[in-house]
Amino acid sequence: MIEGSVVDLRALEMDDIDRCYRWINDREVTRFLSMRYQTPYAAEESWLRDRISRAMSFTNRVMFAIVTKDGRHIGNCDLFDASPEERKAHLGIMIGEKDSWSQGFGTDAMLTMLRFAFDEMNLNRVELRVYAFNERAIRCYEKCGFVHEVTLRQEQYIDGVYHDAYLMGCLRDEFYALHGKTPA
Amino acid sequence: MIEGMLVNLRQRELTDHVRTYAWLNDREVTRFHPTRYAYSLAYEEAHYRLDTSSGQTRERAAFAIDTKERLHIGNCGLTLQYAESGSAELGIMVGDTSYWDRGYGTDAVRILVRFGFESMNLHRIALAVYDFNARGVASYRKAGFVDEGRRRQAHYHRGCYGDTVVMSILREEYAAGAGRGMA
Repeated sequence: MIEGSVVDLRALEMDDIDRCYRWINDREVTRFLSMRYQTPYAAEESWLRDRISRAMSFTNRVMFAIVTKDGRHIGNCDLFDASPEERKAHLGIMIGEKDSWSQGFGTDAMLTMLRFAFDEMNLNRVELRVYAFNERAIRCYEKCGFVHEVTLRQEQYIDGVYHDAYLMGCLRDEFYALHGKTPA
Repeated sequence: MIEGMLVNLRQRELTDHVRTYAWLNDREVTRFHPTRYAYSLAYEEAHYRLDTSSGQTRERAAFAIDTKERLHIGNCGLTLQYAESGSAELGIMVGDTSYWDRGYGTDAVRILVRFGFESMNLHRIALAVYDFNARGVASYRKAGFVDEGRRRQAHYHRGCYGDTVVMSILREEYAAGAGRGMA
């Protein structure tokens, strides 16, 4: 388990299936993700089983359950497509429990995962993609140290309208300058 | 076959693998290409055998670039990223360096873009290019692409980190004549 200030990150387990299934079929949640079709329970179950049947590693997806200090599983986050040569990876996060939005849990999960990415995986850059209308998330990412780098114009079609997506990047030096280097 | 001013785009054939193999092992070419490990001729042949046995798909429309004299000088293609928004990524390599800086690549990009919008009914075509590839950036601008930003230190190539520039052209820009010298 990796400890943050208000959340911890732990490996996902099969017991987490019901929450994962509920979240990815909740349109209020998936509106901000690249998901739109309903996911059958069996599909989510086999995805999770496949995901957790292999240990996390640099080149395999590093995926965590986000758990509050009182033990409540509220979302998932991951680092994927890590490139050893380019020392970069993509980051994804979902707070599936909507009553846990806007309380700093997501930001703390991000900071904890970024520190893991830079301190443990020795990455130089972490990148993410976010829809331009997801202002709450963009504010959170900026707080964490992400910089809006690219506007992918009209890249997404959601709820009947084309939307821009942003690419945001966080470099290790900038992260340490903003949040401090981990004490030795 | 799709006809341009200087080049034609045609289906890829198995025999193209020999030239592609040579280009992917040419350091001058791969300076601008995300290739770092050496490819074997056998690997390239196997790749081509698989690719040419299925032909083009809506997920991946790959072409060989020929001059009007039917000399194979490069490859290009469109890869669908999001079916719902009609967003695809364009890739191109002019492997025969004697055809650089002569408008052949720009012509290939223009007709590939036309294929994307008029045959595949795309909404957006994007590409990524290394920041130091000034020839590439200039060519894409000429073909109507717009800079969208740069992913900082996103690639590591020949000893240093560099930015990757992202560019795109939208359907409405194409329809308004962008990249065809009449906008």
